[in-house]
Amino acid sequence: MSDAVRIQLEDFSQDEEVKAMRSGSPRMGGIATFLGCARDFSQGRQVSEISFDAYASMAVAEMRKLREEAIARFGLIDARLVHRLGVVKAGDAIVFIAAGAEHRAPALQACQWLIDELKERVPIWKKEITPQGESWVTPHP
Amino acid sequence: MITVLFFGPVAERVGASRLEIGHMDGMRLGDVRAQLQQRYPQAFEIVSIAAVNGEQARDDALMLSDHSELVFMSKFSGG
Repeated sequence: MSDAVRIQLEDFSQDEEVKAMRSGSPRMGGIATFLGCARDFSQGRQVSEISFDAYASMAVAEMRKLREEAIARFGLIDARLVHRLGVVKAGDAIVFIAAGAEHRAPALQACQWLIDELKERVPIWKKEITPQGESWVTPHP
Repeated sequence: MITVLFFGPVAERVGASRLEIGHMDGMRLGDVRAQLQQRYPQAFEIVSIAAVNGEQARDDALMLSDHSELVFMSKFSGG
């Protein structure tokens, strides 16, 4: 079974991730997921691709901490976090979060918390590639 | 020897993803930051986070041991 926390160049399958999570415990009553995709339009420009760079060792360590924190904070049964690196085409998947709990409320809350915290705490940077040129994305609140 | 790594927009402004700096007794995070800030002012305009050996470091007075790995980073934009 693949690791619950990964950064990887290749695409991932949401079905496989959810299947891996469901196989861990039959007590899970709710699984909330978030899929982040590459938009083809940003700040008034067409975007053809997004390129990602990461401080990989710290990124994975921080994602593992997030998973552990989410499990403890929301009483989850399991959580999975996958983020792609390299070049992602517009429309393709970038990040996947899944939070599984006995009931829906903690699963939904944890899923939102995980993606918000990932954006704040995980050292990954994105560069938008447009017909007019390339530019690193400056995060907004 | 101290290894300094740069990623994403900071690496682009520095023009390198890795530098090595000689270690000196009593060397602190702030010493390396000041030295590099002078060499790469444009890159350090966007640096807001530092890490030492994989952990965020908020105190420039932090002492650096030989073979430390430093990273000066801009705000993250993953996800």
